[in-house]
Amino acid sequence: MIRFEQVGKRYPNGHVGLHELSFRVRRGEFLFVTGHSGAGKSTLLRLLLAMERPTSGKLLLAGQDLATITNAQIPFLRRQIGVVFQNHQLLFDRSVFNNVALPLQILGLAKVDIAKRVMSALERVSLADKAEHYPGDLSTGQQQRVGIARAVVHQPALLLADEPTGNLDPRLAAEIMGVFEDINRLGTSVLIASHDLALIARMRHRMLTLQRGRLIGDGEAS
Amino acid sequence: MSATRNSQPAERVGGSPNKPPKPVSDGPGFQQLLHAWVESHRTSLLDSLRRLLKQPIGSFFTCLVMAIALSLPMGLSLLLNNVERLGGSWQRAAQISLFLKLEASPAEAQRLRDEIAQMSDVAAADWISREQALDEFQQLSGLGEALKELPDNPLPSVILVTPEVVDKANLEALRLRLAEQPNVEQAQLDLVWVERLSAILKLGERFVFGLTLLLVSALLLVIGNTIRLHIENRRSEIEVIKLVGGTDSYVRRPFLYMGALYGVGAGLLAWLVLAFGLDWLNDAVVRLAGLYGSDFALGGVPSGDGLSLLLGALLLGYIGAWLAVARHLSELAPR
Repeated sequence: MIRFEQVGKRYPNGHVGLHELSFRVRRGEFLFVTGHSGAGKSTLLRLLLAMERPTSGKLLLAGQDLATITNAQIPFLRRQIGVVFQNHQLLFDRSVFNNVALPLQILGLAKVDIAKRVMSALERVSLADKAEHYPGDLSTGQQQRVGIARAVVHQPALLLADEPTGNLDPRLAAEIMGVFEDINRLGTSVLIASHDLALIARMRHRMLTLQRGRLIGDGEAS
Repeated sequence: MSATRNSQPAERVGGSPNKPPKPVSDGPGFQQLLHAWVESHRTSLLDSLRRLLKQPIGSFFTCLVMAIALSLPMGLSLLLNNVERLGGSWQRAAQISLFLKLEASPAEAQRLRDEIAQMSDVAAADWISREQALDEFQQLSGLGEALKELPDNPLPSVILVTPEVVDKANLEALRLRLAEQPNVEQAQLDLVWVERLSAILKLGERFVFGLTLLLVSALLLVIGNTIRLHIENRRSEIEVIKLVGGTDSYVRRPFLYMGALYGVGAGLLAWLVLAFGLDWLNDAVVRLAGLYGSDFALGGVPSGDGLSLLLGALLLGYIGAWLAVARHLSELAPR
């Protein structure tokens, strides 16, 4: 699913975000990427989302080389990815339903299909009864679940999450992780960037550890 | 080391349990693509309309500013057309005055008038005898008593020739031909005023063209700035749209519709402003023309010109929005 081969990322100011990173992620795998602030977690996610390009090495996502992908191809690549942010990135002037429907509207699905898929996604995160509410009416945990519903509503092959439990209390964080595991059970690869080692340890999934842009650990969290 | 996998079947949103998900974007057929395209345009248009109506006063004033910028050159152009129409009718009334020799008899003058009237490029020819000329001059000049003291009538008889063709070259050719006729002392064609009017109209046209260029540029700036503000207000939304797979054209579309809608609104307002403005001016023009014995009246906004104005405004709105979005789209990469 994902192949990093000696991937490096050096910024114009000379800062090295990633240093010859190599690893693979299989289809349907669940893994964490951890490390301190500045370790390179966000850079790794930004490379996978084609928000930035590697400056060296080869980065393949579903067979597509992200170093050479054209700008016109990027939106179509992103349609195969779901992304969850720490700050949810919800649109507060749209209802929960319309927030979740956004990726499907971009795909141009018929209204009936959109309604069906959105309600299913909201049911999956236990928010079907909040469809007509606005994000501002919801708690932080509920907003995060709306973000997850939006990330999976178009059935992406890969789900990326950047510190998805960063603002949540431990009970809510565990609940959100449960939702990610549910999604993973259906075959979606899940890659979560987090520095919450206690939470990661409880989940017992594969964990990549980064330090100053280098991969210093790859194994099951314990 | 691999991840811990759980193969427990579970219900999936539109997917099959235990199978890797198949993205809904995989392999769309032509019909689906067409539907997506139509649906996207419909949604963008309605969304843009909704956003404009949500701020009716702001939208109205933007349209009004654009309408003023449109109606100034258009109004001047319509006025020039009217003046050209007026100038044309005067030009058609241009006449060549043939002053006959003093020794020419009335019979010879009448015969010459008949010959000239039969020329193909002459619409009419009228003879004014020496006596008629003197009477007219006495009445109009106020020198009646002084003229009575003269031993002889010094004025020649005149044939006034109304030409069929009114352009300058043809008139000059006709004048030369008439000047060669027997008993003709002098053939006079006064086209100076026509040339002056024509020069003024040309200057006016150039002025309108320059003004149009300036105001169109201003209009593009107004629409560009308005769309830029809309883009700024929706920056976070655009970033999210791009992150979930929205193409540049998907992002651009609602703003282009918004520009076109602003253009349509401005075009309609400009049409209204011109129609009412010309109607308002017309009363004064009719009164003034009446004082000169003319039934001249200003024409309104012809429907063809009105539709061109509307279409032009729509295109300008669209182009202004396109320029603004093209300039700012690259700055809207997700952060």
